[in-house]
Amino acid sequence: MAMASLRREGRRFAAPLISSQPITAIRSSLIAEEQAPLGIRSISTQVVRNRMKSVKNIQKITKAMKMVAASKLRAIQTRAENSRGLWQPFTALLGDAPSVDAKKNVIVTISSDKGLCGGINSTSVKISKAIHKLTAGPEKETKYVILGEKAKAQLIRDSKKDIELSITELQKNPLNYTQVSVLADDILKNVEYDALRIIFNKFHSVVSFLPTMSTVLSPEVVEREAESGGKLGDLDSYEIEGGETKGEILQNLAEFQFSCVLFNAVLENACSEQGARMSAMDSSSRNAGEMLDRLTLTYNRTRQASITTELIEIISGASALEG
Amino acid sequence: MTLNLCVLTPNRIVWDSEVKEIILSTNSGQIGVLPNHAPIATAVDIGILRIRLNDQWLTMALMGGFARIGNNEITVLVNDAEKGSDIDPQEAQQTLEIAEANLRKAEGRRQIIEANLALRRARARVEAINGIS
Repeated sequence: MAMASLRREGRRFAAPLISSQPITAIRSSLIAEEQAPLGIRSISTQVVRNRMKSVKNIQKITKAMKMVAASKLRAIQTRAENSRGLWQPFTALLGDAPSVDAKKNVIVTISSDKGLCGGINSTSVKISKAIHKLTAGPEKETKYVILGEKAKAQLIRDSKKDIELSITELQKNPLNYTQVSVLADDILKNVEYDALRIIFNKFHSVVSFLPTMSTVLSPEVVEREAESGGKLGDLDSYEIEGGETKGEILQNLAEFQFSCVLFNAVLENACSEQGARMSAMDSSSRNAGEMLDRLTLTYNRTRQASITTELIEIISGASALEG
Repeated sequence: MTLNLCVLTPNRIVWDSEVKEIILSTNSGQIGVLPNHAPIATAVDIGILRIRLNDQWLTMALMGGFARIGNNEITVLVNDAEKGSDIDPQEAQQTLEIAEANLRKAEGRRQIIEANLALRRARARVEAINGIS
C-alpha cells in the first residue's frame, strides 16, 4: 500500500511540472524527469531544489529587467510627448491622406533592436506586409525601408528583393533630432517615392500601443492633390513665400515634414518598446512565481516521501529481525 | 485682436501664447505680421524672431524651419530656438569666435558649408542678445 501511494505521488508531481508555463531552460530537465518516477523509488530533493534555485534566479532577472524598462520609459516618455506637437501643424496644413493613390510607395517600418518586448515588432511587420499587398498593383511598386533589427530579420525572409535600405542600432546613442534628420536625408536621397508610409507603434499608455501609419506625400503629389481640392485645396489659399519658386518651398516642406514625423515615430516606438517589455517581464516574473509555488509543493512532497520510505525500511527491518 | 504664436522645436515647445506683433526673418527678407494678416506659408531662415507684447520687444534666435500664418494663428516650426534671455552673452560671443575660426580653417566644400551654417547660427544667437538692449 505504501508503494502504491508512492507511485501515485510520483505520477502526481510529474503532471503539474509539465502543465505549468514552460521556461525553456527547465523544459528539457522536465522531460527527463517524466520517465524517472515510474520504477524509481524517489526523486532526490536535490534535483527539485536545483530547479527551484534556477526559477528563482529567472524571476529576479525578469523583475530587474522590468525596473530597467520602467525607468527608461519614464525618460523617453516626456520627449515623445513634446515631439508630438511638431507634426500636428503639418497635418493641419496639408491634411493626412492615407488613401492617396501613389505610384511609388515606400513603407518605412520602425522596430526595435532588442527582443523580449512582447508582440509589437510582429504587429508592425504584419501591418507592413498588409499595406504592401494593399498598395501593390499594376505599374505600382512598393519598397521597404527598415529601421531596427527585429523587422529586418522578419522581412528579410520573404521580401528580400523589396528592401531598399535597412538601418540598425538606432538606439545606441540617445535619440536626438539631428541624428534622425540625417537619417531622413539619407532615406530621401536614396529612394524615389511618391508617398512615404511610416509604420510604428503609437504609445497611448503603458498598457496600450497601437500600430499606426503616417503618410508623407512627395511635393509633386501634393501639387496634384491640391488641384483636385479637399484639404490640400486649402493649401492654395496660402501665399507661399520665402524662396524662388513654390515648388522649392514645397520640397523643403516635405523634407522637413518627413524628418519631424520620423522623429516622432521613432520616439513613440521606443516608448512602446519599453512599455511592452515592462509588461512582458512582469508577466514572466509572475509566471516564475507561480512555478516556484508549485515546485515548493513538489519539494515538500518529495521530502516527506523520502522520510516515509526511510521509516518504512527501518520498521520493516526491525520487524524482520524480531521475527 | 491678438495673434496666437506657437514656436515648436523637435524637443519642446518654446513659446505658446498671445502676442501683439512679430517680425520674422525669411529667405526673402523680414516680414512683419500683425493681426488679420493674409494666410501665408513660408520658410524661415537662420535668424532672429522679434515678438512684441504690449510695447515690449522680445528676441528669439531661430535655426531655420517653417512658419504658417493662418487666421490669427502663427505656427513656427524650427530645428532649434533659444530665447534671447536664455543665452549667455559670454558664451555666445565665444561660440561666434570659434565658428569664425572654423570657417577660416575649413577645407572642402562640405566643411565650408557646415562652417558657414555654424557661423550663421552663432551670429543669430549673438544678435538675439543684442536685440533686447
